[in-house]
Amino acid sequence: MERFPLRKIVIAGIMSAVAIFLGATGLGFISWFAGVSITIMMVPVIIAAVMEGPVVGMTVGFLFGLFSLIQAAVAPKSPLDPIFVYPWLSILPRLFIGPVAWIVYSSVKRLNLLGRSRSVIAMVLAGVAGSLTNTILVLGLLGVFYLGYTDWLTWPWIGSIALANGLPEAAAAAILTVAVVAPWQGVEHGRRRSRLVDDKE
Amino acid sequence: MKDFEFLHNVTIGQYLPTGSVIHRLHPATKMLAAGLLVTALIISATVSGLLLVLVLTGVGLKMGRIPIGYAARGIRSVVPIIILVAVLQILFATGSDSGRVLWEGWIIKLTPRDFLVAGTTALRLVVLVLVITFFTLCTASKELTHGSERLLRPLTRIGFPAHELAMVITVALRFLPILSVQAEHLVKAQASRGADFGKGRMGLFKRLYRMMPLLVPLFIASLRRGETLVLAMEARCYTGGKDRTQLMRFQAGRTDIIAICGTGLVVGLLLTMHYSRLDEIIWTWLN
Repeated sequence: MERFPLRKIVIAGIMSAVAIFLGATGLGFISWFAGVSITIMMVPVIIAAVMEGPVVGMTVGFLFGLFSLIQAAVAPKSPLDPIFVYPWLSILPRLFIGPVAWIVYSSVKRLNLLGRSRSVIAMVLAGVAGSLTNTILVLGLLGVFYLGYTDWLTWPWIGSIALANGLPEAAAAAILTVAVVAPWQGVEHGRRRSRLVDDKE
Repeated sequence: MKDFEFLHNVTIGQYLPTGSVIHRLHPATKMLAAGLLVTALIISATVSGLLLVLVLTGVGLKMGRIPIGYAARGIRSVVPIIILVAVLQILFATGSDSGRVLWEGWIIKLTPRDFLVAGTTALRLVVLVLVITFFTLCTASKELTHGSERLLRPLTRIGFPAHELAMVITVALRFLPILSVQAEHLVKAQASRGADFGKGRMGLFKRLYRMMPLLVPLFIASLRRGETLVLAMEARCYTGGKDRTQLMRFQAGRTDIIAICGTGLVVGLLLTMHYSRLDEIIWTWLN
């Protein structure tokens, strides 16, 4: 039990529940135009990693991947979903979101030259990094394994999806990560918020 | 009012208690059997194998005293996508285009094989949905905790936190209905303040901006509930690990061994059918 404090277990469970909830209700998909939608389902994974470390992030990523596998098999929403029943496409890439987000977060947070706002900057970068990990790994593995599954599944198509979906997803993930973690941890924004207690960092 | 309800159209995870032989199996047995079967179906998609599993699932439902129509209801929501996938595959599938060409024009070339491939894909989806629905219909969510802990127990020898992971799964499953109520409250509260969750045309970030009053409180509220849960569990001196006893104990018996052996047999058959290319033989014979 020393290795896994109760808080880590509970946060991992709750963030997994949020990820599953976002996926099951469709809240995690923000439709854009003409049926294209971006997903924010990886945000709970990033938040869990930023708050509780890489192992918790990986656990949430695993459960999120497992759920997306089941959903792809039971309630497919797009013509590509049937390929997502393969665990190396639905689970494996999601395991890396948490650790990458955590590495970025903790290393940026240590940079002294960024000054007071380094926590917020670290969260932004963690959100971007975690989200891009998801995009690049999922689409990369899709390209490596299933090029030619259908006619339009080609590298240029994958590249265009990576740009068109990946970048807005990264931005959305960054915004949400800051919007949730910053007030939760009581981090000073630099403006708007008065300081009542000393900065403990 | 439809906008205020969540999870009402989620069919996964429905449980139908009938107390049958299947229901009384050890949760670990059911999870192992379902896992093996789904893996086998993912690896090998032969028409003959899929038909075999379809028939066996029917038998299983009968044994579990679950009405087949009830179990089949889950397929209805999948039908449009199955048709879409099948049509796409028939129209655009490339690959071995040997044999007769039924119709050719523009970039589309229809061969009998295209129909076979599309049919297999559609059938596989139907069978997968049925198997997973069958599993959830006869397994209560609290059984999943016990099952996953039992299945992961061998890994504790190499230091894998089996109990902790099972606890994470329990918390996640238990929180889903709470989250849905929470989200309903939030949507109603924000709507009463005039929030508009973005119907109609607008840019992506505007849409995201409108979702924020729902998403951020949802995260914060669930984190807060998490803190309460930590406090409550610590106040009750919760400790995990191997010395922990359980209120519900499941005992594996003879039926579990039979069930596992039966599933193993079916999986073996499926893989044999796949690697002996039984479908190819039947297909060439039919032609």
